[in-house]
Amino acid sequence: MNSRVKKALIQTLLAMADDELILAHRDSEWTGHAPILEEDIAFANIAQDEMGHAIIWYSLYADLTGENPDSLVFFREAAAYRNIQLVELPKGDWAFSMLRQYLFDAAEMVRLEQLVQSQYPPLAHVAAKIRKEEMYHYRHTSTWIRRLGLGTEESHRRTQKALDTLWPYTFQLFTPLPNEPFLSEAGIVPESAQLHATWAKVVLPFLKGSGLIVPETCTPIIVQRDQHTEHLSSLLLEMQEVARSDPQAQW
Amino acid sequence: MSDTQWPRFEVFLQAAEGEPHQYVGSVHAPDAEMALLNARDVFVRRPHCVSLWVVPADHILAKTAQELAEKGWEEVETPTQTQTASYCVFQKREHRGTLIYVGIVNAQTPAQALRRAVELFTKHPSLVWWVFPVRLVTQSNIEERESLFEPALDKPYKQPTYYRTSAQIHQIKLTKRLPEESL
Repeated sequence: MNSRVKKALIQTLLAMADDELILAHRDSEWTGHAPILEEDIAFANIAQDEMGHAIIWYSLYADLTGENPDSLVFFREAAAYRNIQLVELPKGDWAFSMLRQYLFDAAEMVRLEQLVQSQYPPLAHVAAKIRKEEMYHYRHTSTWIRRLGLGTEESHRRTQKALDTLWPYTFQLFTPLPNEPFLSEAGIVPESAQLHATWAKVVLPFLKGSGLIVPETCTPIIVQRDQHTEHLSSLLLEMQEVARSDPQAQW
Repeated sequence: MSDTQWPRFEVFLQAAEGEPHQYVGSVHAPDAEMALLNARDVFVRRPHCVSLWVVPADHILAKTAQELAEKGWEEVETPTQTQTASYCVFQKREHRGTLIYVGIVNAQTPAQALRRAVELFTKHPSLVWWVFPVRLVTQSNIEERESLFEPALDKPYKQPTYYRTSAQIHQIKLTKRLPEESL
């Protein structure tokens, strides 16, 4: 692997790991607070899966850079994180979290479907395993969105409001990292533009079928992943508090 | 029973090919599909699973051996249709055990199905009998087995004591003078 491809791959792995980690944290905030007991268990399970995926991507990253994943997670500042803004937004109401998870799950599904054919064997191998869990996530959240969208006046109103808020952030899911062409030419990752189109073919009819209206005019958020909202630093403050209380501790 | 509860579904789990489904508990859900997904998260963690069934609790005819012996339970229903349907039959044979699938009977009403089941499945004495129409079973698909059931195998359950953090936390409290409420 030449050094440009390797550098690009390292950046991509970190981005994927950070997305899963931050999303897992937001999902876990529902533990003990979900509207239904069964859903509390289900969503905690999904959060656990996402955390597992983060660990997998961090370990692939560590294989290439030698860095310690725990240091990356607990001692990086917000500016050094490379997740998209969609996942750092506060959890909101149940409709908001379900819809955010749905939009992310759909993107993961289309991405993983391509990654199982990656020319970088560790990626392909890992993608096959993760894909099983993502298929279940997609089934779970899509089942919810359909019911929320077509349910009562209140569930519909809250879900539509969530969609209006979230839709601009979905563009960043497919904003390519600066060196993506090196990776897609080498057959290591799929092209973002193509993923976006595939994702839209799944998501647009589904949202419409759930009685929801996708905003026609919006300002897409297509900034690079080093740009964050103010929400990330308060999230990290909480997540990193114990580790930072004694950086020398052995856990 | 609260009116704000969603309908209850009873959950049956098949641990391996060739083994009968067993009753594992219930979930509340708005409909059968949601019940199946929730059943997967509530019940498929430590046990192995290849198939899940969920059935609306309202449509299960349940009788204990004692209730069966009393007269009058059969005359409750009059058949409104003459069509025959298939019914699943479950038995509970031990006090400490659970209900286990024994087979199918055909009948025109649940009560008739139960009577036939009692006549047919005589191999073991039974403490409790459940029958319900096969058409009311929502089951997991074979194609979904991988995504529904395999991920749980990689997530071994850990007791809280597995994480030995109390000594470390105590140390932090001493050196950093954190508030006394425990972390």
